[in-house]
Amino acid sequence: MREVHLDLAVIGGGPAGLAAALEARRQGLEKVAVIERDIELGGILQQCVHDGFGLHRFGRRMSGGQYAQAFIDEVEAGGIMTECRTMVLRVSGDKKIYAVSSHKGMTLYHCRAIILAMGCRERTRNQIFIYGARPSGVLTAGTVQRYINMEGYLPGKKAVILGSGDIGLIMARRMILEGMEVEGVYEVMAHPGGLTRNIVQCLEDYDIPLHLSTTVSQIHGQERLEGVSVARVDQQRRPVKESERYIPCDLLVLAVGLIPETELARGAGIKINPLSNGPEVDQDFATSVPGIFAAGNLVAVFDLVDYVSATGETAAKGAARYLENPKAAHPRAYRVNTGENVSLAVPQIVYEGQAAQDLSLFLRVKQPGPKAALICACAGRELSRKKERFVAPPEMLAAKVPAGTFIGADLLLEIKGE
Amino acid sequence: MDRESILKLVGNDGRFAACQVECSLSPDGIATVWGAADTWRQVVDIGHLVARQPDIVNVVNRLRARGIEIAPQDKSGAIAAARRLGVRAEADIVIIGGGICGCAIARALARYQARIILLEKNSDISEETTKANNGYIHAGHRAAPGTLKAKLNVEGNAMYDQWHEELNFPFLRCGQLNVARTEKDMRALEKNHADGIANKVPGIRLVSAQEAKELEPALEGEIVGALLVPSLAVVEPYSVCIALAENAVSNGVDLWLNCEVLAIDLDSSSRTEAVVTEKGLIKTGWVINCAGIYADEIAAMVDDQFFSLHPRRGGIAIFDKQVKPPYKRSVSVPAPAEQKDEESKGGGFSFTPDGNILAGPSALEVPDKEDKRVEAQDIDYAYSRGAAAYPGLRRQDIIAMYSGVRAADYKEDFIIAMSGKIDGFINVAGIQSPGLAAAPAIARMVEVIVKESRAGQNNPLRLRTDFNPHREKPVEFRHLSLEEQDRLIRRNPAYGRIVCRCEQISEGEILDTIRSPITPTTVDAVKRRVRAGMGRCQGGFCQPKVVEILARELGREWTEINLKGRHAYILARKSREEGL
Repeated sequence: MREVHLDLAVIGGGPAGLAAALEARRQGLEKVAVIERDIELGGILQQCVHDGFGLHRFGRRMSGGQYAQAFIDEVEAGGIMTECRTMVLRVSGDKKIYAVSSHKGMTLYHCRAIILAMGCRERTRNQIFIYGARPSGVLTAGTVQRYINMEGYLPGKKAVILGSGDIGLIMARRMILEGMEVEGVYEVMAHPGGLTRNIVQCLEDYDIPLHLSTTVSQIHGQERLEGVSVARVDQQRRPVKESERYIPCDLLVLAVGLIPETELARGAGIKINPLSNGPEVDQDFATSVPGIFAAGNLVAVFDLVDYVSATGETAAKGAARYLENPKAAHPRAYRVNTGENVSLAVPQIVYEGQAAQDLSLFLRVKQPGPKAALICACAGRELSRKKERFVAPPEMLAAKVPAGTFIGADLLLEIKGE
Repeated sequence: MDRESILKLVGNDGRFAACQVECSLSPDGIATVWGAADTWRQVVDIGHLVARQPDIVNVVNRLRARGIEIAPQDKSGAIAAARRLGVRAEADIVIIGGGICGCAIARALARYQARIILLEKNSDISEETTKANNGYIHAGHRAAPGTLKAKLNVEGNAMYDQWHEELNFPFLRCGQLNVARTEKDMRALEKNHADGIANKVPGIRLVSAQEAKELEPALEGEIVGALLVPSLAVVEPYSVCIALAENAVSNGVDLWLNCEVLAIDLDSSSRTEAVVTEKGLIKTGWVINCAGIYADEIAAMVDDQFFSLHPRRGGIAIFDKQVKPPYKRSVSVPAPAEQKDEESKGGGFSFTPDGNILAGPSALEVPDKEDKRVEAQDIDYAYSRGAAAYPGLRRQDIIAMYSGVRAADYKEDFIIAMSGKIDGFINVAGIQSPGLAAAPAIARMVEVIVKESRAGQNNPLRLRTDFNPHREKPVEFRHLSLEEQDRLIRRNPAYGRIVCRCEQISEGEILDTIRSPITPTTVDAVKRRVRAGMGRCQGGFCQPKVVEILARELGREWTEINLKGRHAYILARKSREEGL
């Protein structure tokens, strides 16, 4: 079995992993490798042919592939080992990685530090309990995206989309552009699941109706999908039988949420946070296992690639600091608690002491609303307040602990209407 | 029992007050009922009521429920087309149906010098009832003593070790522990125990509360006692079926897939002469009816329908492997107020040999034989039956739901016999739970029937000298040690390409199964053989790769690769015409 010794292994060559590897090199780490299961780097960005990436970071509109390529070029020039077509089977708590590839066989990576950046996967019809028959023609939006954008095939003629998450919205437009019919987008929540700009640019511009508080209640068809029943939902999000109507279609696209791919993290004994469903991390994006860090959509689904890249960089800085003195004791740890109208917070742990620079805290709102204030408080004292014109669950928000602030108790994140 | 008393019996039952029922009774004890009921439940209940009467051998139930129309398919055009194709083959024995019974019988008969054709209307074997059950190799203590079910269940269970040894399918004789929370539960277990003793279930015994907790330390809460059933085992049902069929085909059985039976021709002396299929006629003197839920309709083709099958749907939920079963055995704990429907045989919670917790199946009478939907009530039912043993289990950990229909007759027993009317026509019908467990014994019983019938025709079956009962164990990359994995990849790099990330299935395993005796041609057929797509993402990531591999290896277009069955296409068309 091949054995490789590394300062830092990054698992996953998507936006989080690429940013992490580059930052690790900038921090002076020598032996850095990116391990990627696909045939090329870039992760899911490679199938995102639409634009809108990189506005924050590069100040211009790029496709997912272009955004990824900007990082890939740097990685390839930067003395970083890239291990594509390599699937990690297991990560152990003592920082050994077992991986398989067809060209190198099994490899054991002995790592001084690891950054996990495996991203997320899509929820399926079973996880949201759509009942009925089980014909072909029911696909997740990401799989539809792969078939259309990467493989050049259309998986149907007339589609119904369930879920107004961004991938669903973008695929609505894509399918129209490819000559398919899109009957409508159905969303179980009372508010859209995707970014406002995607609602406008992908649905309204193409006259695709969005039906809120409505869900697919039944799937029909023995072999191939023949139609779906849609129904309005009550307060508990249960379909109201009387409102059910039948829509003939041959494709149901599911854009019903993403789940962090935590299997390797769990295998390494890493603690998972029940709110984010990803590894619990501290302000350096270190997990509960010393020397193992996590970044990107594995930690929490961030939606915005800029945030994903940023967390990769934070994790890489953390890993570099850890490697300077792996035995160093942390100062006293405090929790980042979720208060009024906040459903999750990342990171979940901060340390006692004076913040050397601004410390970003990511949070998600529970209930949408206009004119809200993001408040970060510590022991009853407000550390920062940020006004937002509108807050909605699909958009990850960022609050901060300003540089120079002393953290001496648990933090509390709240979103209050004004 | 006569016609009048049957009508009186139904008429006096308050449940059927609004039903219009007619009835006839044949001299050999076959009751036929027809007329109209209000609900499907009444149709089934009347069938059961009549079947329970003394001297009633079986029931043909032609009752209709008002408002429920299952249109019979007109096959005359297809039959005419088939006849135009003429005789395409001759066989000593034709087996109809590639489920567990058909495949087990095909393999049992493959040891003889005989031309055997196995017919399956789907694009793969094991596509119907066989694939959709909880994989229990029942011990036999739940079957009523004296029934054919009970006898074949216990015999079949004991034969599984040899099958497993010869055919190399996943098999786990984990045993079962049925727990009693109350004295009332305990009485029920004592009855199961007595039945088990009567049925000769090996090793079955009642154990104290203390011993139960020693056997299964994860058991929580108050326990009165338990019933230990060591011989219960679990399998992946489709794996057993595929292993049998592959071994049968390796030994010369001819498998015709995508080949529905449309009619059966008899000769002037009421003997089977030919099977009319959509691929033409097959001349044969022996026909074995293993058509599952359609076995009554196959029997009607030779004008000998003496039973009706009423589909009983069973919905199943599979949980993410990350939730580990807390027990060594299959443990059942009754819910506080468990309602047992005497006819239904629903399951509680169990686990698969690969380590997924499984809930179900439910047991719901449905009018339509093709009703393989999963509804909330199926999952609720499964939960009501067994969730008590898995207190921490969350519904959000369910990764897959599916269902099948049990092929139940109204006597609720197996029908395995040569037709009394048609020489050469053997029924293997009404095979519901514990059909999977009984399958080895069913196959042996049919083997004896065929042998005797052939001997009676002065045409005895002779054993072949070259029969090979062994099927090689397929490579399962995920179960190998790191060193073995490394060696394997160096020998064949395809094992180093992981196609299904959730279940860690390699391209090498998919290529192996494509080159096996029965080539899978659909994504689901690949899934049943190697587990690609069976994990938590349900094929979201690997389906395009499996489509690509199938298209490449079979020399087909991507658009020609189906998910399952014969018409379940995945891709409608290429997005751009060639050359653009």
